[in-house]
Amino acid sequence: MTSAPTHPVDDRDPTPVELANCDEATLLGMLDKMEQRHGFVPREISEEISRLVQLRLERIERIRGKLDSTIRRDVQTHVAHWSNEEGNLIMILHAIQNQHGYVPREVAMELSRELGVPLARIYEVITFYHYFKLQPPAKHNVVVCNGTACYLKGSLELLNELRSRLGISEGQTTADRHIHLDVVRCIGCCGMSPALVVDGKTYGRVKTSEVGGILDSVKKQEAKP
Amino acid sequence: MKTLTKADLESLARQQGEGKEWIRVQLDTGGIAAGAETVFAELSRVRDEMKLALPILRVGSVGYSFADPVVEVKCAGMPRILYGRITPELAGRIVREHVVNKRLLDEYVIATRRRSLKLDGPVTQILVRDTGADLGNKTEFFQFSLLEEIKRRGLTERVQVVRAYDMGVYDEGVAVQLLPSGVTYVNVLAQDVARIVAESVVGGRVLDDLLWKESDRQVRVVLRNCGEIDPDSLDDYLRNAQGYQALKRVLCDEKPGFAIAELKTSGLRGRGGAGFPTWMKWQLTGAQKADQRYVICNGDEGDPGAFMDRSVLESDPHSVLEGMIIAAHAMGCSRGYFYIRAEYPKAVERVERAIAQARAAGLLGDNILGSGFSFDAKIRLGAGAFVCGEETALIASIEGRRGSPSPRPPYPSVRGLWQKPTAINNVETLANVPAIVLRGGAWYAQNGTEKSKGTKVFAVTGKVKNAQLVEVPMGTTLRQIVYDICGGVLDDKDIKAVQTGGPSGGVIPDKHLDTPVSYETLQQLGSIMGSGGMLVMDKNDSMVEVAKFYLRFCVDESCGKCAPCRIGGYQMLQILDRISRGRGSADDITALRRICTAMQKASLCGLGQTAPNPVLSTLRYFEEEYKAFIEGGPSYARKISRAQAGEASKETAKAVATP
Repeated sequence: MTSAPTHPVDDRDPTPVELANCDEATLLGMLDKMEQRHGFVPREISEEISRLVQLRLERIERIRGKLDSTIRRDVQTHVAHWSNEEGNLIMILHAIQNQHGYVPREVAMELSRELGVPLARIYEVITFYHYFKLQPPAKHNVVVCNGTACYLKGSLELLNELRSRLGISEGQTTADRHIHLDVVRCIGCCGMSPALVVDGKTYGRVKTSEVGGILDSVKKQEAKP
Repeated sequence: MKTLTKADLESLARQQGEGKEWIRVQLDTGGIAAGAETVFAELSRVRDEMKLALPILRVGSVGYSFADPVVEVKCAGMPRILYGRITPELAGRIVREHVVNKRLLDEYVIATRRRSLKLDGPVTQILVRDTGADLGNKTEFFQFSLLEEIKRRGLTERVQVVRAYDMGVYDEGVAVQLLPSGVTYVNVLAQDVARIVAESVVGGRVLDDLLWKESDRQVRVVLRNCGEIDPDSLDDYLRNAQGYQALKRVLCDEKPGFAIAELKTSGLRGRGGAGFPTWMKWQLTGAQKADQRYVICNGDEGDPGAFMDRSVLESDPHSVLEGMIIAAHAMGCSRGYFYIRAEYPKAVERVERAIAQARAAGLLGDNILGSGFSFDAKIRLGAGAFVCGEETALIASIEGRRGSPSPRPPYPSVRGLWQKPTAINNVETLANVPAIVLRGGAWYAQNGTEKSKGTKVFAVTGKVKNAQLVEVPMGTTLRQIVYDICGGVLDDKDIKAVQTGGPSGGVIPDKHLDTPVSYETLQQLGSIMGSGGMLVMDKNDSMVEVAKFYLRFCVDESCGKCAPCRIGGYQMLQILDRISRGRGSADDITALRRICTAMQKASLCGLGQTAPNPVLSTLRYFEEEYKAFIEGGPSYARKISRAQAGEASKETAKAVATP
């Protein structure tokens, strides 16, 4: 007799051990096959699957609980740091954004509980100021300065070039969440207009023809782990 | 650091003076963006490699943005030399050639603006550059002939001839500067070379016919310490910039009310744009009955194209802080806030450090310098809302709310932050204060016009050769600023207009370039002083597009609280968009004017009231451009505007040719 197959085979039902080792996609494929074979999913198998799902859910719950408590701890430290100050909401939001790169909804909710301020008021402030973001940042940020000096020296052409190369417009992120394209008012480097900021590094006096090279260098960083 | 006392400051006032030898690297945001950090690292590395004791210092920016990164070198037996556009490779050469071999680098020297009329001491270096329209063509030839002449007279060992990067003199033919004295000759011709060498280099006499006699138009009050001291060092400020002497004077030596009296004599007006007399603001705030008063420094520099506040905060934070403490003392405030844009991380970092240093030295906190006066300052970050530059909105933002403006009166000086009397001063205003207190209001009032006293910093950018910070006395004309200081328009095109005041300002066409700059004159021309951004536009820039650009900015930044601003701005943008696509109709211009009036009259705050300014001023001076867009579409309009500028330049050329 040959050794037992470690992966489910097509002509018989999977064993509990095999079930436990399956990922979601394989599991779905197997259920389809069993339905074809029997017209239904055998009871012992469906019970086994629901037990596994239950286990997985519990694990996720535990992780979420842990996450919640880290969020609570983080928010509490931020609030404690500013607790003696009047009008501290904006400074706390700055601290949160510095930590996460944006203001996650869970954190905002926790902050609302911690400060005793309605969530709507917190969101009122977040959405009013351009600086606060509600979406997680992409891996790389490409920012075009659209101050007047840069505008006069062709920042729109730079932006168009970036748009067509990345296939997104400003304020959007590429589908793989690698590059976020944005426009800012003025970074105060008017002496070097038009300017681009890539991950905090400023490129001055950029020509349209150089945009490709700059994007390539971003991709190269990607290749290096 | 131990707590400073009055006696410490008095002894510091006597021992002024700086080190004999140093290299300064100008590390502000602009410089760092251009690579000044790597230059700094490379300089230090090469210095260590050569085992030199020369200190390499971090300083703020002197304001020459066009030449970033900028490095200044002073070493024994050599004049102070400013180098522009320095790369790491050049940094190594500076140490090896300039510091060790005492030879200047070719092509990177920025000539000093401290020009002299006398030769004091033998000439050791000659800078040469062709400053005419055909830039740089004759520079090599003149360097060669000067060198030949010097070789002929056997002076090669003593005198070096170097091509300069920038002479500070423009459109004056070939310019030659003799160092170390700073005597500058202009419009030098080939036959003058022998004379310069014979008379000036050998004979030590100044050639009067070639001498450039105009002194520098810039007067540096606000920028006095920028690029001169390390912004991260309280010690440097105390020793080399008369730091906190003005505070000592106000707290310990003079009667209460001294600062306000001096400010009244000085005629200083708010540099944030509106131009309200600073002494009056302080007096009004101080006169209110209240248990608590606040002073706020407005560093929410949101105008695109303006960067003087950032530069001052980054290069000289202690001056602004000292100004704030003096203001607080004059008004009896015990708390102060710096409201700074979060987009200026370097400025935030440096002000934070300045506050911590001042606190450690006892210049902030309880009983400052033993005078019984207590004050503390904190930082609040802006979060990218232009409207927060408006004072009521700024107060709302510090209180942690949305930055929506509220109607005035009551003015903040009556009821401001947390309902207490509050004085809000711009960065530049506060940076002026220590200088005025120390040198007197009358000294400050020497500069400027009758109603606008003193100096003003402008950030000149756009289509200009040397984009830079400029500090000039009020009353200097736009033409002097653009042509004499900044070298004129990029690629020697014709200037079309200068835009001042950012999105709340307007354009000033070339025919008004000879207007002396002051709060009143700019207002008469339909623009405003604003915070001091100055955008130069050449004939290729479409005024309709420029108006649209600024209006879009204001529409994006409108907080939405009042209808005229929210709806009016949007409707105007729609019309402008239509016009710029060539789909406008003849009624559109009338409609634009009507909406403008409505917005000006009915908007709640300064943002809405001034948002129509770019549209109104372009309509006032360039209505034919709007009409060209409506009648013939974009490409026709572009052709027309170029042709007009061409004709104008031909006319001026004719006028010059037939005097």
